[in-house]
Amino acid sequence: MKKKRDSSEILFKVFVYVALITLAITIVVPVAWVFMASIKQNSEFYGSPWTLPQGFYFQNFVDAWGKARMGEYMLNSVITTALALGLLLVVALPAAYVLSRFKFKSRKFINILFMGGLFINVNYIVVPIFLMFVDGDKLLKSLGLSGIFLNNIFVLAVVYAATALPFTIYLLSGYFATLPKAYEEAAYIDGAGYGKTMIKVIFPMAKPSIITVILFNFLSFWNEYIIAMTLLADPKGGKTLPVGLMNLMKAQNAAAQYGQMYAGLVLVMLPTLILYICVQKKLTQGMTLGGLKG
Amino acid sequence: MDRQKGRKAFIALCVSPAVILFTIFMVIPTFNVFKMSLYKWGGYSANKTFVGLKNFETLFKDMKFMQAFQNTILLIVLVSIITFALALIFAGILSREKIKGQNFFRVVFYIPNILSVVIISAIFSAIYDANNGMLNSLLSLFRGAGKEPIYWLGDQKIVIFSLAAAMIWQAIGYYMVMYMASMASIPESLYECANLEGASRIKQFFSITIPLIWTNIRTTLTFFIISSINLSFLFVKAMTSGGPDGSTEVFLSYMYKQAYTNSSYGYGMAIGVVVFLFSFALSAIVNAVTKRELLEF
Amino acid sequence: MKKVLSIILVLTMAVSLFVACGNSNSTAASSQAPASSETPTATIKVAALESAYGTDIWTEVCAAFEAKTGIKVELTTDKNLEDVIGAGMKAGDYPDVVHLATGRPAALTETLIKENGLEDLTDVLSMTVPGESVKVSDKIAGGFTESSLTNPYSDGKTYMAPMFYSPCGLFYNAGLFTEKGWTVPTTWDEMWELGDKAKAEGIALFAYPTAGYFDAFFYALLYEVGGADFFTKATNYAEGIWDTPEAQQAFEIVAKLASYTEKSVPSNANNDNYLKNQQLILDNKALFMPNGTWVTGEMADAPRADGFEWGFTALPAVKEGGDAYSFTWFEQLWVPAAAENKDAAKQFVAYMYSDEAAAIFAKGGAIQPIVGFADTLEGENKMFYGIYDNGAKAALGGFAATDPVEGVNFADTVFGTVNSLVSGDKTVDQWVEAIKADSDLLRAALK
Repeated sequence: MKKKRDSSEILFKVFVYVALITLAITIVVPVAWVFMASIKQNSEFYGSPWTLPQGFYFQNFVDAWGKARMGEYMLNSVITTALALGLLLVVALPAAYVLSRFKFKSRKFINILFMGGLFINVNYIVVPIFLMFVDGDKLLKSLGLSGIFLNNIFVLAVVYAATALPFTIYLLSGYFATLPKAYEEAAYIDGAGYGKTMIKVIFPMAKPSIITVILFNFLSFWNEYIIAMTLLADPKGGKTLPVGLMNLMKAQNAAAQYGQMYAGLVLVMLPTLILYICVQKKLTQGMTLGGLKG
Repeated sequence: MDRQKGRKAFIALCVSPAVILFTIFMVIPTFNVFKMSLYKWGGYSANKTFVGLKNFETLFKDMKFMQAFQNTILLIVLVSIITFALALIFAGILSREKIKGQNFFRVVFYIPNILSVVIISAIFSAIYDANNGMLNSLLSLFRGAGKEPIYWLGDQKIVIFSLAAAMIWQAIGYYMVMYMASMASIPESLYECANLEGASRIKQFFSITIPLIWTNIRTTLTFFIISSINLSFLFVKAMTSGGPDGSTEVFLSYMYKQAYTNSSYGYGMAIGVVVFLFSFALSAIVNAVTKRELLEF
Repeated sequence: MKKVLSIILVLTMAVSLFVACGNSNSTAASSQAPASSETPTATIKVAALESAYGTDIWTEVCAAFEAKTGIKVELTTDKNLEDVIGAGMKAGDYPDVVHLATGRPAALTETLIKENGLEDLTDVLSMTVPGESVKVSDKIAGGFTESSLTNPYSDGKTYMAPMFYSPCGLFYNAGLFTEKGWTVPTTWDEMWELGDKAKAEGIALFAYPTAGYFDAFFYALLYEVGGADFFTKATNYAEGIWDTPEAQQAFEIVAKLASYTEKSVPSNANNDNYLKNQQLILDNKALFMPNGTWVTGEMADAPRADGFEWGFTALPAVKEGGDAYSFTWFEQLWVPAAAENKDAAKQFVAYMYSDEAAAIFAKGGAIQPIVGFADTLEGENKMFYGIYDNGAKAALGGFAATDPVEGVNFADTVFGTVNSLVSGDKTVDQWVEAIKADSDLLRAALK
């Protein structure tokens, strides 16, 4: 009996490892392949994808950074993402806290509103948003001012923050709801006001959850291209990295620059990979502590 | 009394910025989508004609829209079920078994989720290429060389599954980490008891693990629906542009085609309305069917 | 807390702004300044598609135009021009001159045609070319301002100026034909024979970059099967036209060609991967592909089989001694109806047909449709543009413009379906039925 159990145990282990390693390979190999492709010369792209690069063709990165203006786009992406994250946290944290821990009349309505917001797909409201800005700019121009809403990465950051609100509030409220009431009561007894209690007592406890929220939203802001493409329309003005990348990729009727494109892919991918590796431990921790208890 | 007043002010101060931003950038635009779905408008000129529900009438007679509808549903079902099963199994293995390199696997599996769809589509077009793609050159080792290659993105019977595979590849890690997180909060003692009673791994998985993370599972089901609709669009846009011959058109890609390249903006917005109502209804149904206890929210 | 407060403040301001916007739309629109007076120092905004010909030609032409007329030019070029100017145009910020052809996936030009957003350019034809003493209409080669590609509403008025023409036909590896001792087929029957011969050697007869490239092919084919009259009827969706024997013959040829097509083509027939399909010709994996003269520049860096040499032919005739056609593809230049400096813009359009501008464009490989200009060409271009001297007839035109019809995209129906014919997912009958159904809807919406 014991023996039989052992052999099936080994079989099970083998199966588990095979499954795990297969999945890992399907992820590591293609990602590594992009890095490899980014140092190939253009002529090396015709033929088998498995051929190793003939040399380290660093010119791809130089071209992507300078000629394809990826360096400039990178800066835009950094600014937009940072601003959007900052604004999002400042707005979403207090809202999520109050909505999950205070009882008041319109609470239920607002909660339902934000829940409904989860179903609004950014891809189809982007044009109404754009048209709204168009009207805003027209008005400013008619007043003799210059338009400020379009082609403005700060406005883009505000839109990012606003469209991320439902999901972020949903995540944070789920976490705040699990905290025991005792923390606040103790703080009130110590004479702290609502604001002080929230900032000094509750937010520090929510740190893992906040890190999760930052990571999720960083990824979605950094990788977003539909909104950015629509709101940053001026060809000479700023663009974000993914939009620049799409331009490199979608070059119909023009000679495609494969090497440059993969170098661009690496430039977009690298910051997310680095950030992820840095915070990956906290990510699971944040979720574990109830970030997603629903 | 003063305290009461302060409390009200505090609540208003905390909630109103979020509500205002949300209203301006999500509620009003959504309202405009609904409004424009009742108009015929090309997108540039000033003449918008009110046509009532005519756009919707045309929509339900439009075979191409029906195909997009079918494709979307197929993708939602396929991607959700397979991702759900695999993510759950891998989460179970990684949190219950003693595995060497456990941390490595957890970190690696999440990587596809942090990549931009633009990057994923570049990766998968290199994988799926018929003549010298990674997949076919790998398969030729088993099938023998010289056989006709498989057209992963060209064969209309296969292409939608190729897309689904890319979406699953992207999503597994995310849901796995989510399930692992809630599995970690299950008390170890429950499993110890089960072990003493001689319950098998599989039995433990179904009678302890799954029931205890049920709330989490229900939440993710809604995520699956919302994100499948959204991601299927991004993948289609970047990988197949709806082709070959419209066979991978999904809700939002068809909406974009109509609104921006067929000069039928109002018609496109009507599709947007259908998508909104559809995802709402589907989530409500799924929520009702899986109901065990009230959702906290 | 201060932070929160200041943000709320900013937001309230923003909100009040939006509210204000909503109320004053009409005033904003009406208070836009009328077109500025035409002083020599006027500035026009020119937007041009960056295509295989590069952007240098545009920079140089604009500089030459400034030197000639004193009108300043602000140039925008981009590979995805419609993304770049489309948004601005929605915002009421229109370029004065746009170089962007019809038939692109984003269909911005088509949208403006449907929305009556183009300025009538008929008077440009009677203007004198800046710096020369010839009228524009005397310089533009015959036939170029008579098709629906320049006169979309078939009312004799020209709304788009013809630019950069390129004969379209079938491209092949002339070196391979010499090596194998094959001759280029002159009829479709010879084509099918060659197809069987090539198949025996493991080479497919046909490949295409994307199904969209069938437009030039199909138009030329319509001319071949039924002549100019038939073509006009077909492109105006005449009732019953698709049931005629001529149309049936055209459908049969496309269907048969589909069965001779390299099987991997539909997989790559999209804007990201079409180069792989073009590569099939360079690798001797397929014999012919429909394309335009820009393809040689597009594939300049690509590796190729030994002894590769570009060859170019018109479509084979449908019967012995029948007419062979080559579709003349050309791009279009237009002035938006909402442009601010229309007069200066029209001068720019007229300047496009000066010998000076034509010479600059030719440096980048772009050939203007100017009388006698093709005779001055050398090298590869001489062969391409000489096609009409070698007996092929020129096919010009395209499907007529209609009001927008929801859910109907005729190019997708007619050309896109070829992908399904190749893969066997749709039958010819299904294809023809769909064409007939859409044709009926479009006829009702004709402008």
